[in-house]
Amino acid sequence: MPETKWRALDHCDNHNKHDADVDQENVQKQVTKQISNEWIIVRDSEDVEVTTTDTQVALSLQLGIQAAIVAVISITIGDNEQGNNVAQDLKQFMKTKQSNKQKTIIEGSKHVKVKTTDTDIAVNIQALLQILVAIVAKLDVL
Amino acid sequence: MSERQEAIPNKVVDLLVSEVFRKNNVNIDNAKSKLTDEQKRAIRELVDELKSQVETFVKESPSSKKE
Repeated sequence: MPETKWRALDHCDNHNKHDADVDQENVQKQVTKQISNEWIIVRDSEDVEVTTTDTQVALSLQLGIQAAIVAVISITIGDNEQGNNVAQDLKQFMKTKQSNKQKTIIEGSKHVKVKTTDTDIAVNIQALLQILVAIVAKLDVL
Repeated sequence: MSERQEAIPNKVVDLLVSEVFRKNNVNIDNAKSKLTDEQKRAIRELVDELKSQVETFVKESPSSKKE
């Protein structure tokens, strides 16, 4: 006799409780931000807690640091060809991998906590900050 | 708590920035002289704020955990 597959929501079926909570089989969540594409699929599960990196915060931090670098260059070297060339060269290091793809599937589970992190973003931001700090240190600002 | 690890060794970043300045014939002393005390203060504050924002972000980012 084939063994019946355990399903987290079996007890809900037994009680004929077909409310919204039971419809998790089709629950899919896609978090798509400008620099991240993350899929978290929760299927046939209950009590699942998901935490992900806030890529929107990361993006605004990234833009903030880039703007600061350009501003410092513009003030010290000038908004001229030389300043533009320096900014252009620095941008070569600032080019970051703009894509993060990860897929998390939680199936047939209960009481699960999931944390995903986009380490690329965290490292990129730290590197950008290092460039800014190096520039201002050279200019004796710090 | 241990010191936050650098994304890239500081010496490498320093070398890269120096090289960009050298390549573009930037006179560092001349560039320094263009900054007023007021601007220096503003830049310092800006950098400090960005630093603390980055630290908060890195600290709050969930670390990978296996159970």
